Amino acid sequence: MTTRRQMLKSALLGGGATVVAATAMGSLGPEAAFAAAPPQPEPGVPDPDFAEGRIRSIRGNTLLVLGSNLVFHRIRVVDGTSLWKLGPVGFDEAKPGDGLYARGIRMPDGILAAESVWLNIVNIKGHVRNITSEKIHLDHNGQDVLCHVVPGKSVAMHSDAPPTADLSLLRVGQHVQILGAWRPDTNEVDIATVFSPH
Amino acid sequence: MQGIAASQPYVIAAFLIWAALMKLLSRRMRSQAGQTALARLAGPARAVPLLRLVAAAELAVSGLLLAPPSSPWDAAAAAALSAGFLAYLTYAAIAAPEASCGCLGAHGRRVDRRSFARAGLLLAMSVLAAAAGPYPISPESAVLAAVEAAALIALSPELDRHWLTPLRRLVVRLRNPLAVRDPGLIPLETSLQLLYRSPAYCSASAHLSSDVQDFWDDGGLRFASFAARGRTAVFSIPLYGGGPADVRVALVDEPVPR
Repeated sequence: MTTRRQMLKSALLGGGATVVAATAMGSLGPEAAFAAAPPQPEPGVPDPDFAEGRIRSIRGNTLLVLGSNLVFHRIRVVDGTSLWKLGPVGFDEAKPGDGLYARGIRMPDGILAAESVWLNIVNIKGHVRNITSEKIHLDHNGQDVLCHVVPGKSVAMHSDAPPTADLSLLRVGQHVQILGAWRPDTNEVDIATVFSPH
Repeated sequence: MQGIAASQPYVIAAFLIWAALMKLLSRRMRSQAGQTALARLAGPARAVPLLRLVAAAELAVSGLLLAPPSSPWDAAAAAALSAGFLAYLTYAAIAAPEASCGCLGAHGRRVDRRSFARAGLLLAMSVLAAAAGPYPISPESAVLAAVEAAALIALSPELDRHWLTPLRRLVVRLRNPLAVRDPGLIPLETSLQLLYRSPAYCSASAHLSSDVQDFWDDGGLRFASFAARGRTAVFSIPLYGGGPADVRVALVDEPVPR
């Protein structure tokens, strides 16, 4: 891992031999924006390159996932796959019972070769009922959701301001939207981002 | 015992009058009647007439309780009404767990333990009043009445915004439970927001095929790598100060293992 990081760092800062494109101005140039766009699925047809559901079991590098529409998915995770669970994590963080959204490329044998996997990601809106030590008690349509603040990971975004690790401006009674990682089979969520309208 | 219970009819009557006035006069209550469990019980069209009927019953019972020749039957009527509330709450909790109760004005909270405790308290007070009968009010009964009134208010979710929310705000301001403990930790999300607004990311985003694979901090910079259709895109994002224009990107032809 360290050598790969060093290689990537030197590619960025020193211009290693394998670099395809880099620029000291920080941009690849406008033509890059029109580089091969991924093919878009037909309207009204399920996107074959997308899967959602909960992990039933893990076999080697393949996640066996049961979708909420009872469709079974096999999702292969490789070294290049990004996994998110409140932040980038390794494959060993994926556990049976975790919910997921995955995007990748559908192989001819039906396996989804994942490019990105988001584990337990949730997006909920509600009112702040109470704030206690490192916790926000959220009222989501009459249901209580306990949201944990994770130091070093949770941020708040007030209106259009840049995100801040300081969540102390949130007020009891206000409306918020919380992006976070669900703790499976509980009503608890670890906060990634709290969006506040003001 | 009897002296203590003497104030019960007045507390019950005051609470019933208040509940009836909320049902009769609150415009918001009428507009949201369709979301109460009453609408489920009797159909949405009959929810508002039924609310008015309940309000009339509450007014009638409170009139009985307050009007002079007092008899145990007045309190018995209040006990019957409270028992009816309990039965209705039980129905609501079973048949329409998503609905609010519509007891004391409009609010979005569903029927919970507090609603049951409030109806149970009303029933207990009515039974106490029926058992005690007419008796002059003593100082002890006035204290009991104040405690009961406070309990009824505390058990009413409709009133939380008047006392509970300000109280919690005060506690939060005094205790500051979300104060940053370790200001040295910089969440990845702050760096990513800077990244997303950078010209480097905008020019490279069409190549990216994954979310963040890996990130690490080194020499005041945060590095983040993404898969980019068989290659790897690596960005450097300034950790302290620096704007979107300071973000750098490189596309590295490092074949992603498959």
